Amino acid sequence: MIKRITLLAATLSLGACVTHTDINIDELADARAAIAASKAAGAERCAPKLQAEAVSSLYWAAHEYSEGSIHPEENAELTARAISKAQEAKAASKRNCAPAKPEIIKLSGIQFPHDSAELTPASIAILDKAVDTLNRRAKINVEVAAHTDSSGAASYNEALSSRRAASVMNYLQSKGISANRLSSKGYGEAQPIVSNTTAEGRAENRRVELRVLN
Amino acid sequence: MKISLLLFSLFAFALPASAGVFTSIEDRTAKIEADTQGNNSYHAHLARMLADIALEEKGQHDLEAGKEFINMAEDHAAQAGGAK
Repeated sequence: MIKRITLLAATLSLGACVTHTDINIDELADARAAIAASKAAGAERCAPKLQAEAVSSLYWAAHEYSEGSIHPEENAELTARAISKAQEAKAASKRNCAPAKPEIIKLSGIQFPHDSAELTPASIAILDKAVDTLNRRAKINVEVAAHTDSSGAASYNEALSSRRAASVMNYLQSKGISANRLSSKGYGEAQPIVSNTTAEGRAENRRVELRVLN
Repeated sequence: MKISLLLFSLFAFALPASAGVFTSIEDRTAKIEADTQGNNSYHAHLARMLADIALEEKGQHDLEAGKEFINMAEDHAAQAGGAK
């Protein structure tokens, strides 16, 4: 009696630990490659249903192959479906899906004296709030991105924005934010958010922001 | 002796119970459908599709395959982040 109960319990316990179907067989190499390519193209985000159809077909095919050659037509059909859905997903991703926009933490109000990367007291107060944010969100890494308006030469603006971005990054580091979490880049006048034709527009385009990288 | 046997049996049955072995594939599929309702993410789609395969396999009397696919479906449903 005890032996029977032990045997039953062991069977049920092992039944709870069923392993997944093995997709790493030679017959599925093409399907795996097609799915890897569509995933690399961003299909999980850009064509999620097609990508899921490809992956579920792959798993199903793997299961059918594990049963040997009982249903060869079914094996071939599922494999072909996995490949064609992955190809559709890849094409749809390229056609429809823009790259994901990074999260931007705006540092509204940061200003610098003319032709300078020196932080003003008002800017420091804003950066202290950014330090709080970075301490609160301790897992994010950010790029300090600085922008200018279109006044002056583009090369000058790029160099100036690079100095300003570095200045902000150095301040954040001085307040204890790890250098490993920070990088800086000056974009010059290349990425305006409004027209530069008015003084208000130019003021809006002169800005510093934190771009979340992860 | 009897108490030891009782405790051993309870422990042994707890593992498969927590893995959903005693819940039907149909019930688990229904829960996945409910948990991912309106969620159109990759993992939600995949969870629903794998659950459908589980039902299909069970319908073909391959209960082991049905359990395997429903387990995979539940893994992906958990990654889908719930209903939207």
